[in-house]
Amino acid sequence: MTSIALRGLGIALFFGIVLGVLIPGYVPKPAFIPGFALPPDFWPRVIAIAGLLFSLIAAGLGFAGQGTPVLPSEVADDDTPKRVLLFRFGALVAALIAFVLLTDVIGFLGAAMLLTGAAIMLTGERRLLAWGAGLALILPVGLYVFFTEALGTQFPPGLLFN
Amino acid sequence: MLNELMTALHAVATIQNFLIIAAGIWGGVIIGAIPGMTGTMAVTLALPFTFYMDPVPSILLLVALYKGSTYGGSVSAILIKTPGTASAACTALDGYPLAQQGKAGKALNMALYSSVVGDFISNISLIFLAAPLALLALKVGPPEYFMLMVFALTTVAGVSGNSLLMGFVSACLGLLLATAGEDMYGSFRFAFTDDMQAGLSVAPVLIGLFALPELIKLIVFRNPPKARMMEIGDDRVSGREFRSVAKSLFRGSFIGVLLGAIPGIGPSAAAFFSYGSAQRASPRAANFGKGEIEGVAASESANNGACGATMIPLLALGVPGDVITGVMLGAFMIQGLTPGPLLFETNIHEVYMLFIGMLLSSVLLLFAGKFTMRIFTTIAKIPPTLLSPVVLLLCLFGIYAIGNSMFDVVVLLALGVVGFGMFLLDIPTAPFLIAFILGPMIEENLRRALATSRGDPTVLISSPITWIFAALILFVIALTARREIGKANQRKADAK
Repeated sequence: MTSIALRGLGIALFFGIVLGVLIPGYVPKPAFIPGFALPPDFWPRVIAIAGLLFSLIAAGLGFAGQGTPVLPSEVADDDTPKRVLLFRFGALVAALIAFVLLTDVIGFLGAAMLLTGAAIMLTGERRLLAWGAGLALILPVGLYVFFTEALGTQFPPGLLFN
Repeated sequence: MLNELMTALHAVATIQNFLIIAAGIWGGVIIGAIPGMTGTMAVTLALPFTFYMDPVPSILLLVALYKGSTYGGSVSAILIKTPGTASAACTALDGYPLAQQGKAGKALNMALYSSVVGDFISNISLIFLAAPLALLALKVGPPEYFMLMVFALTTVAGVSGNSLLMGFVSACLGLLLATAGEDMYGSFRFAFTDDMQAGLSVAPVLIGLFALPELIKLIVFRNPPKARMMEIGDDRVSGREFRSVAKSLFRGSFIGVLLGAIPGIGPSAAAFFSYGSAQRASPRAANFGKGEIEGVAASESANNGACGATMIPLLALGVPGDVITGVMLGAFMIQGLTPGPLLFETNIHEVYMLFIGMLLSSVLLLFAGKFTMRIFTTIAKIPPTLLSPVVLLLCLFGIYAIGNSMFDVVVLLALGVVGFGMFLLDIPTAPFLIAFILGPMIEENLRRALATSRGDPTVLISSPITWIFAALILFVIALTARREIGKANQRKADAK
């Protein structure tokens, strides 16, 4: 099975779940609809059916050996082992989740500092570490001061600093 | 009209507006000149800051960023053969060879003059075409609007990415996401959490989708653009040189206006089309691609010529022609203004202020380009490993500040990951965004059309205007399918 067919089937599965599970479960139907007004689930159903059709056609083309190559050139030309790429992606997602969770504990500013530092480290930057550290510490403070003082935004202070 | 324009001129001519437009143009030129930073990113990053500004200055800031970054994209195209924006790809074809010949400054200056002329013509076209189009739009009903928006979605799906089918899939995903929240009759759809009852805001969705995937790509693949920086060198454009390219320059400007005004086409296609026609008409056709200054003029006049023109369908019909005008539609909504024919009745003063500000921005573009030229070589050296985390920070603070909501920040981060997934699967993101923005309007017009026709779907093809749009939709699909079949055959032939 080609990657194009797999991609089409994967997307079809998603639209299938929307059609079969999410719309019946999360789009309530009113008991009475006046005149010729359409029910709330009409439009999501139309979209999901259209998406399902398009993705099935794409999968069909993949099975027939037609269609465009799926992997972008950046990925296809990259000879880094897949597990390394997956590790980097996983580390970034973990950092993003940690940012959201840490905001409740150490506040938006502290979590933003940590996330910036983590992002700089994850880009593989090692030559300009001093610049990176300075950026991770100073820029969030600058933005915090700008938004709170000039625009009056109240960022979450976090449990530790509340 | 003249009276209104003069009143608007008085209202726009303040130091504050002047500084905002200048900052936008300057910022746009600088951001566009940095490899890997796009005009879309410049406009999306500025969006949260406009929340706190008055409506007209905020839109002017975004328009100035758009214009500045469109010209700025040519800088990296000429100096390091890395187009800052897709619309500057043609500029690199002749701009970089000119830079290799020690004439980078000449190419940059020609790009600047062409951009300014194209931009000015585009603004004038906007002023004269938007109002009549809006008047015409007042006379059409929901079926025509529905078909117009489907046409816009079809063209965006056709020109974005490598596959029309994936363009349609992307549009379906965007339309589906737009249904989350309360519908026009008060039902809550896909309200998985309390936060989702209000639906997803435009800003976190579009900033997440367009700004964050670049950072994720940099972290996962670690392959920032590398190229040798050229020196500015000879920067004089003589009167004779300017006259020799004038025909291509003006032709390019009008091509930009024409293609920019059609929803979904935009500056990139205009630049390619203009470059091709200049090459066909030029007595120096053989020199194109080897350092022909006329090629730079043709490409740059067209891409900036499209900038103002993409605002025509946005202002007159409420339909964004590309991603950047999609962002601007979001900005209008944040400010409580609804682009479309009624804007010309309810907010005509603001519309004329916008026109005057756009004309002013054309002039400022000339100065910004001139004064920034010598520092371009420094700007383009900023390492993306430091720049991308800065972009992330701006996104986080900006998005939180718009809604004071951590839910918006979570949406931003989630859409960043979704955008990266779409990149891996080769699903274009532009149709997703345009569909997300147009989704509620498409549904509203479909519902109204079907309600007035008592549920008869043939109402969608019941008038000459709907026939025209239906024919155009089929034409775009046929044209794109033909192009894709040709490409597939070429690939098969190459493989053999």
